[in-house]
Amino acid sequence: MDWKSYFGPLNRNNPILVQVLGVCSALAVTAQLKPAVVMALSVTVVCAFSNLIISLLRNTIPPRIRIIVQLLVVSTLVIAVDQFLQAFVYDISRMLSVFVGLIITNCIIMGRLEAFALSHNPIPSFVDGVMNGFGYGLVLVTVGVVRELLGSGTLWGHPIIPQAFYDAGYLNNGLMILPPMALILVGTLIWILNSKKDKAK
Amino acid sequence: MKNFSNTYIFLYISILVIAVVSLLTFLTLGLKPRQEVNERADWAMQILRAAGYKQVAVNEAARIFDQQATALPTTDGSEAYSIRCADGSQGRVVRVDGKGLWGAIWGYVVVAEDGSTIKGVSFAHKSETPGLGANITDERFTSQFVGKQLRDMAGNFTSVRVLKKGKSPEVAEANRVDAISGATLTSQGVDEMLLKMNLEDK
Repeated sequence: MDWKSYFGPLNRNNPILVQVLGVCSALAVTAQLKPAVVMALSVTVVCAFSNLIISLLRNTIPPRIRIIVQLLVVSTLVIAVDQFLQAFVYDISRMLSVFVGLIITNCIIMGRLEAFALSHNPIPSFVDGVMNGFGYGLVLVTVGVVRELLGSGTLWGHPIIPQAFYDAGYLNNGLMILPPMALILVGTLIWILNSKKDKAK
Repeated sequence: MKNFSNTYIFLYISILVIAVVSLLTFLTLGLKPRQEVNERADWAMQILRAAGYKQVAVNEAARIFDQQATALPTTDGSEAYSIRCADGSQGRVVRVDGKGLWGAIWGYVVVAEDGSTIKGVSFAHKSETPGLGANITDERFTSQFVGKQLRDMAGNFTSVRVLKKGKSPEVAEANRVDAISGATLTSQGVDEMLLKMNLEDK
């Protein structure tokens, strides 16, 4: 196994931009940076540990019920993450609302279990899960920064655009806050990545 | 690919489910107290914001609420409290519930002792559109209610209407606030919610 391929999710094999998985949650939680980061961390934790657990169990899982076993492991982890968020970062868990629960159906996680964890050793599987989580997070954070900065003039809740701009007639772009703008931004990122890829050829 | 017998499959999934269920039960029970503290703090913050306490830390909210507020009995069993507002005067906290565009909206209205003047409000919502309907929780919207009257000159309950600027000119300036543009349905939801608020002696 080539170590370079672990970094694929951050670049040429990005789960959102190239495989176009997990887009729904990427659109929903990126209006502000904070929920985007928490969501990215949650997905990373779930992806890494479900990969690890499934990889440890892989020789004992009967192939006929492997999807059921995978779902069971993923949903356990997601419920655990949701409970921890509610206990320790209550306001963010309120912001993320149903999207934490929907990590269960995030195709990135099921995809990595099927494509990687079932056929690799525990440690490479764990690393693969972390890297895919980061690849997902990278896009979420990028979109989150652009949307919060242009949509609300803040970052992480702190005002960034100086009051003088507003006094001079600058307005926050309300369109940035709405979900369609996330789609357009993700589309732009896909465009940038693809045009780079073409040049590399 | 290995062949697994049906007995193996059945036992495998049973053991896995039992393991998962017990694990989650312990986890939920263990974290429950912390979550309840968080929920209560969030709820206390909402009421304190309506009563004019602006700079309250989340971990202080429940304690301050317990010091300043006492529950009041109501005929229909809805939530109501008597509270000492941030400016030192007494107020009555009335809970309101309604429907927004996408889901439930609710809030707390603090009414002064005259039974008409609003000392402050705070609203919350389940799933209104961020940037539009979700702005009902915004200070810019809620601060409009401060000082408005729930009754007209004759003392009849009129509520504070949430109306588009210039619409229904027969409603006096003291009995109305401006709706949020772009969030007509959520604003109407707030309007209806306030119209059916339980003031006990209206």
